[in-house]
Amino acid sequence: MAALFDNLGALSLALLEINLRMTASAIALALPIGCLFAVGRLSRFPLVYYPVTAYVNVLRSSPLLMIMFWAYYTGPMITGHPNSAYVAALVALSAFEVAYFTEIVRAGLQSIPLSQRRAGLATGLTSGQVTRLVTLPQALFRMAPSLLTQSIIAFQDSTIASIIGVPDVFQSTNIINAREQRPIALYSGLAVMYFVLCYLLSRAVRGLEARAQRRIAGGAP
Amino acid sequence: MPTELDWSILWSEPYGGWVVDAVLTTLELALLSWAFALIIGTLAGLARESPHLAVRLVATAHVEIFRNIPLLVQLFFIYYVLPRVLPMELRHELFRLGWEMGSAVLTLALYTSAKVAEHVRAGLNAVTRQVKWSALSTGLTWWQAQRYVTAPLVLRIIVPSLTSEFVTVFKSSSLAMTVGVVETSYLTQEIGFQSFHWIEANTLGTAVYLSCAWSVAGLMSIIERRTHVPGLLRRGTGG
Repeated sequence: MAALFDNLGALSLALLEINLRMTASAIALALPIGCLFAVGRLSRFPLVYYPVTAYVNVLRSSPLLMIMFWAYYTGPMITGHPNSAYVAALVALSAFEVAYFTEIVRAGLQSIPLSQRRAGLATGLTSGQVTRLVTLPQALFRMAPSLLTQSIIAFQDSTIASIIGVPDVFQSTNIINAREQRPIALYSGLAVMYFVLCYLLSRAVRGLEARAQRRIAGGAP
Repeated sequence: MPTELDWSILWSEPYGGWVVDAVLTTLELALLSWAFALIIGTLAGLARESPHLAVRLVATAHVEIFRNIPLLVQLFFIYYVLPRVLPMELRHELFRLGWEMGSAVLTLALYTSAKVAEHVRAGLNAVTRQVKWSALSTGLTWWQAQRYVTAPLVLRIIVPSLTSEFVTVFKSSSLAMTVGVVETSYLTQEIGFQSFHWIEANTLGTAVYLSCAWSVAGLMSIIERRTHVPGLLRRGTGG
C-alpha cells in the first residue's frame, strides 16, 4: 500500500494535468463543432449532409486508438508537421467526440416540435436565427444529461492516450509499477480513483436528468 | 523514411501472413467476448429485477464497477492482479496457455456484459406489468415467467440497442494490444515502426475495423427485421 500512498500525489497530478485537462479541452473543442455538424446532419443540401454523415459514420465505427495513431504517427507523415503526443491525443479525442456529440445534438434537435420552427419563421427570424436562438438551446438543454454522460466516457477514454506515450495517470501508474513492482496496490488504487470520480459524476448527471425531466413534464401545456 | 506509398507491403513478405493472423485474432477476440458478454449480461440484467435484495445488489455493483472504470485500467487489473492471487504453478500454467488473450476476452466480456445488462433491464421495464402479471397468474413461477414470457420479448425489443454494443466490442478489442495480443492495432503499430509505411498500415487497420463495424451493422439490421415485435414502432416507419 505504501507504493500507492507515496505516489498518490504524482498520480493525482497526472490525472488533473493530463486526463482532466485533455478531456475538458476536447469537450470545449468538440461541442461547438458537434452543434454545427448536427445542423449539417439535418441539412437538405447534399453537399453538407453527405460529408457530415460520412464523417460521423466513419469516426463512430473506428476505435479511438486508430484515430490516435492517425493523429500521432500517420498525420505528420502526410503534413510534415510532427505534433507532441499530448496535442495528437487531444486532436484525436476531440475528433472522436465530435462524432458522438453530433448524434446527441441531432437527436435533441429532432425532439423539438416542428411547430416551434414554424412559429419562429413566422415572427420573421431567418432559418439560421431560429436554429441558433430557438431550437438549438432547447436541444442542448434536453440533451445535457446525454452530453455529460458522453463526457464522462471521454474522461475514461483519455487513458488511451497513454498508448501513444502521453504521460497521463495510466502511463504514470505503469512507470511507478515498473519501479516498485506493486501491481495490486497501484492498479487497485487507480481503479478506485476512477471509480469514485466517475460514479459521483454519473450520480450527479442522473440527478440532473430527473430534475430536467420534471421541468419538461411540468412545463408542457 | 519512405518517400512513396507502397501498398504491396501489406500483402508481401513478411507482413502478408501477419495481417491475416492479426485480423483473425481481432475477430476471435471480439466474437468470443461478445458471446460471453451476451450470456453474463442477460443473466445480470435479469438479476437486477430479481425479488431478492442480495442478488439485486450484486448485479448493480457489477454494472457500476465495470461502467465507471476505464477499460484500459480494467484490462491491466485483470491481466496483472488476478494471477497474483493464484498459487505459483497455476499462475505459470495460466501464462503458458496464453493469459494475454484470456485476460483480454475476460475483460471485454465483463465490460460489455455490464452494458448488455443495462439494455436488458431497460427492455424488462419496457415490458408492461400486465404481461408479467398475466404470466404469473397462469401459474408460472417467477423464473418460468422470466424464461418463457419476458425474456424472449425483451431480447427482441433490445436488438437495436445491442447492435451498437456489438460494434463497440470490435472497437474496444483494439486495447488488447497493450497486454501483448497481436491483433489488428498491434500489427498496425508494428508495421509502422518497422517499415515507416504508416499511411498504408493505418489505412489497413482502419479499414479492418470499419468493415467489421459495418458488417455487424448490416447483419444486425437483418436480425432486427426478423425479430421485430409486431405492433411496436420500428426504425424508418416514422412516427
